[in-house]
Amino acid sequence: MTDWPDAWLIIPVFNEGQVVGEVVSDACRTFANVVCVDDGSRDNSVAEIRRTDAHLIRHPVNLGPGAAIQTGLEYARTQPGARYFVTFDADGQHQVHDVETMLERLRSEDVDIVLGTRFRGDASHIPWIKRFVLKTVVSMSPNLRRLGLTDAHNGLRAFNRTVADRMNITLNGMSHASEIISMIAQHRWRVAEEPVMIRYTDYSMHKGQPLINGVNIMFDTMLRNRTDV
Amino acid sequence: MLIQYLLIASSISFLVLFLRKRGTAHTAAGTKLGFVSFAIFSIYAVLRPEDIQLMADWVGVTRGTDLLLYALVVVFTFATLNAYLRFKELELKYARLARTIAIRHVDRPAGANSESAFE
Repeated sequence: MTDWPDAWLIIPVFNEGQVVGEVVSDACRTFANVVCVDDGSRDNSVAEIRRTDAHLIRHPVNLGPGAAIQTGLEYARTQPGARYFVTFDADGQHQVHDVETMLERLRSEDVDIVLGTRFRGDASHIPWIKRFVLKTVVSMSPNLRRLGLTDAHNGLRAFNRTVADRMNITLNGMSHASEIISMIAQHRWRVAEEPVMIRYTDYSMHKGQPLINGVNIMFDTMLRNRTDV
Repeated sequence: MLIQYLLIASSISFLVLFLRKRGTAHTAAGTKLGFVSFAIFSIYAVLRPEDIQLMADWVGVTRGTDLLLYALVVVFTFATLNAYLRFKELELKYARLARTIAIRHVDRPAGANSESAFE
């Protein structure tokens, strides 16, 4: 049995068949509650997830990672006993022991949300171009600077019920990371950062978002809240 | 020249359109009125080109056709933005619909508590 009966791991999955089986089974060894949201994958991701102990939700069409996280969250927060929620990437770049550290902090400290960061401590394992772009994003975002955050687009986040109940991701694509940061600022959630190790494998580098996506993210973020649905 | 002020004013109104909340009956009606008045203006321009030339002289544009071109650019920008925002709205509704369907059919692991949390 695990130490975290009240935590839910939310893993958005899109065409990660090569690695998702191993990543999810590894997570299930530590966490009893794992929900994978398959975002309309065309490969064997679904079959791989079915072999694990994770809950599986399948989007009927591809909607984007932001939408997948929101789906997983809406499912997880209706589950009895759910108190802590974690977003975790399916490509194997995050480590389970980092999640445990973040959850410990949520339990013991006065924080609502803990974000993983690549930039506290040793950042030398991050490819320089990625480091440069991510640093630029931080220096350009007033929210990040005000909240004292160092990493805008880390997929690893742990948060409590207060955050989960109010989180409403409307940007379906990759821009959800910036949207979550704006929500932190808007709702005045108490935020902390935890240094995490990202495993930059050839696989995750290849799957990662192209840096040019930054343009899309900026545009989407600018237009957020202009629509009222 | 007057035309410069008019064009700057229209650019500012696009920005306002971008920045303010949409979806109210007010903005929807405004959009429709805008398009109707543009249609009327276009018909008028076809029937009485000399009046358009006169208007062009008032606002400081050389030719009436140029004035019409400016108006067209303004309306086109507005229509594009409007379509973009509308599309975003629909995308979000579509995501919510897909999500609702997806959550109804969850594959639970064999060992999990089988009782559904959804009433």
